[in-house]
Amino acid sequence: MKLRLNPMEAAGAAMVLSLVVVAAFAPILAPHDPTRAIATTFGDPGAPSRAFPLGTDELGRDVLSRIIYGARISLTVGVAAMVVTMTIGVAIGLLSGFFGGAVDFLLMRFTDVMLTLPALLLAMAFVAVLRPSLLSILLMIGLVSWTGVARVVRAETLTMTQRDFVLAARALGAPPSRLILRHVLPNVTPIIVVMAVLGTSGTLLLDAGLSFLGLGVPPPIPSWGRMIEEATMYFRTAPWLAAFPGIAILYAVLSFNLLGYGYLRRRSRGSALNAP
Amino acid sequence: MRPSRALTNPANTRRASVPSRGYLAPILAALAALILPGCRTGAPPLDFPPGAQVLHLAERDDVPTLDPAIGYDTASWTFEQMIFDTLVRYSDTGVDLVPDAAISWEASPDARTFTFHLRRDVRFSTGRTVAAADFKYAIERVLRPATNSKGMEYFRALIGAEDFAAGRAGSVAGIETPDPWTIIFRLTGPDPIFVHKLAMPFAAAIPPEAVNRWGDDFFKHVVGSGPFMLREWIGGQRLVLARNPYYFIKGLPRLDAIVEQIGVDNELEWLKFEAGDIDVSAIPPAEFAYVMKTPRLKALTLRIVTLATDYLGMNCLMQPFTDVRVRRAFNYAIDRRKLIAVLNGRGVVAHGVLPPGLPGYDPGLEGYSYDPAKARLLLEEAGVGGNFAPQLWIRADQTEMILAQSIQQDLALVGVHVVIKPVAWPPLLDAVRQPNTAEIFLFGWEADFPDPANFLDVLFSRQQWGANNDTFYYDPRVDALLVEAAPQSNLERRYLLYRDAEQIIVRDAPWVFLYNPVTCVIRQPWVHDYVLNPMRPARLEKVWLSPHRDKE
Repeated sequence: MKLRLNPMEAAGAAMVLSLVVVAAFAPILAPHDPTRAIATTFGDPGAPSRAFPLGTDELGRDVLSRIIYGARISLTVGVAAMVVTMTIGVAIGLLSGFFGGAVDFLLMRFTDVMLTLPALLLAMAFVAVLRPSLLSILLMIGLVSWTGVARVVRAETLTMTQRDFVLAARALGAPPSRLILRHVLPNVTPIIVVMAVLGTSGTLLLDAGLSFLGLGVPPPIPSWGRMIEEATMYFRTAPWLAAFPGIAILYAVLSFNLLGYGYLRRRSRGSALNAP
Repeated sequence: MRPSRALTNPANTRRASVPSRGYLAPILAALAALILPGCRTGAPPLDFPPGAQVLHLAERDDVPTLDPAIGYDTASWTFEQMIFDTLVRYSDTGVDLVPDAAISWEASPDARTFTFHLRRDVRFSTGRTVAAADFKYAIERVLRPATNSKGMEYFRALIGAEDFAAGRAGSVAGIETPDPWTIIFRLTGPDPIFVHKLAMPFAAAIPPEAVNRWGDDFFKHVVGSGPFMLREWIGGQRLVLARNPYYFIKGLPRLDAIVEQIGVDNELEWLKFEAGDIDVSAIPPAEFAYVMKTPRLKALTLRIVTLATDYLGMNCLMQPFTDVRVRRAFNYAIDRRKLIAVLNGRGVVAHGVLPPGLPGYDPGLEGYSYDPAKARLLLEEAGVGGNFAPQLWIRADQTEMILAQSIQQDLALVGVHVVIKPVAWPPLLDAVRQPNTAEIFLFGWEADFPDPANFLDVLFSRQQWGANNDTFYYDPRVDALLVEAAPQSNLERRYLLYRDAEQIIVRDAPWVFLYNPVTCVIRQPWVHDYVLNPMRPARLEKVWLSPHRDKE
């Protein structure tokens, strides 16, 4: 079987790959230490130049190096938070859809309650109570963004449990755990993958938002959101300082979105062709 | 004494300062805005005769009060010092005392008795002549517990003040008014800086009849003898002062009115300034770099070094800051010039505790230079290893965060890996008052009085542990020098003693002496004779406006 990617998917995959490479090889790729003052542009950010292609910030740090290192944080938080999101969302969705009845009612009403609370606000409250650190931030982002996943997975599960193969397995006496893990889960996996890829751009953005509000990964670790926040003080004299990390966030979000939607398109076309 | 941060302008958000009206006021204001949405309807338009000299200002929060016994913040004092007269006041640009309602004064050699001779032509805006009894009444009002004045402690040293405050006496025995034009203050102990306390608005003359008439509402119907009088105050919308026709200096004030719009936040204030609707404005942090890089705007800025010192405090009770070598190493490791550059010049390098411009300032003090090699050596001697990672407590604020990162960078170069801990102002204040909580912290101190005691006594004496001595510094020699200097009214001798104390403190280095902050405001080209004072809000009676496009 040959994996054939559509252009959208291919572009997305290439972009995500480039991000992963940049993050993984940051120490090799970055021309400078992202935390040290390597220019003397204190209080007066330096414009892009030959020596510093993206300029230097108000503390004399190289913006390019900071953006390269920032990819690590963004990817780590984005992906790890998505794992947390998926774990919670899929578990709740599967249980709710499979068992139905009182379990479904309780879990879904809980989900509804969580949905009424704005994710960013909730994450802010959580992070403010705990101390901002890499772990607390990705946990919190995961804890506030699983609701959509749970709903979709529940809906898929509901339709799966009505299918004949599940009914057949049930008739053969398979226990619920086997039904869920062997029969339902594999069949909802495609939608989970799509949601995970698309959701990564969401968690990435949420992380940038938290950093922008000063609740992100604490300095000196560079993060794109905080770079934009610090750049607001120089927005009129050094607009590029905010623009470059902004472009980085755009690039990352776009890459995951392209990959996700591309995959979705291929799958929906495929399933339409393969429909019985 | 008060934690002097009470007087910091909230517009200067970068300071590690007590927001002037406390942290509760904005919350209350926000609540009020939620509960009372209907109260924000437009105020009726103001009409001034053509050609009237009207100064337009704007501020985010309402003025807390105009009652001189209550106000203790920049916003209130800005207007109080225009509505009321004190016996003496500071000169327009300095911290030297000049006559206000008094023509002259004498202090006894033992600094216990102070006699003031009053002008006879000072009149309230009602036309009534101001007499010595009006000053006595004002101070007694401050001392009365029911008034709940923050100025009470400044006048407790008056003979009979405690009896009066406790209700055991009908008047303060230590304030005598032998005739309407003479007032004598007698203190229980020597206090060479007592006259400075009389320059605070707490001691301004107020007419008893107005207080009796308005009772609890006096704060919004104030009557005074200053260059301006209150014309209108619509809560949350605007405050209007008009000239006092009875003001005792002929030809002053030059302005006909001052209008302050309320509810204008920093960014909106800036936009209104750029549109020419506001005559004098603070510069929001996000605009500062832009203003300094734009020659047209830079030419309109005014700057002054305030009587304040910003510092990195090190808790002398916590390891390894118990070791003077570590504290000195930090002083050598931190690049103050870089900090000031990061602040776009809003500071001058501090060499010691006292800010320049403060009487008793020692210009010969060398302090510490930027010398990371020396810092590394000292840390090595002290046995502080490479995994030393102290927590740096700061106020959660954009500018503070950038300053903290600059310090973090500098210390990383000498092998100290600082963890920045941004917290809100009240918990920060709590933390530095605990003997074992905040290892290092960014803080600042601003003078209440132009005297070294206001820094050295308050911040470094043993008895201020748990209060303002936030580094828990103690040195018996320093304490002895401070005790000896406090009652000293021979200024030369006094300042020498404080100089000795400061030298020991600088050598012991409980602080990294960072910089003395600079205040900046911007005014329109048509605003003249607006000058900044290093310790007080700018006075407005001499300000005048040249012809310009007026709005509305």
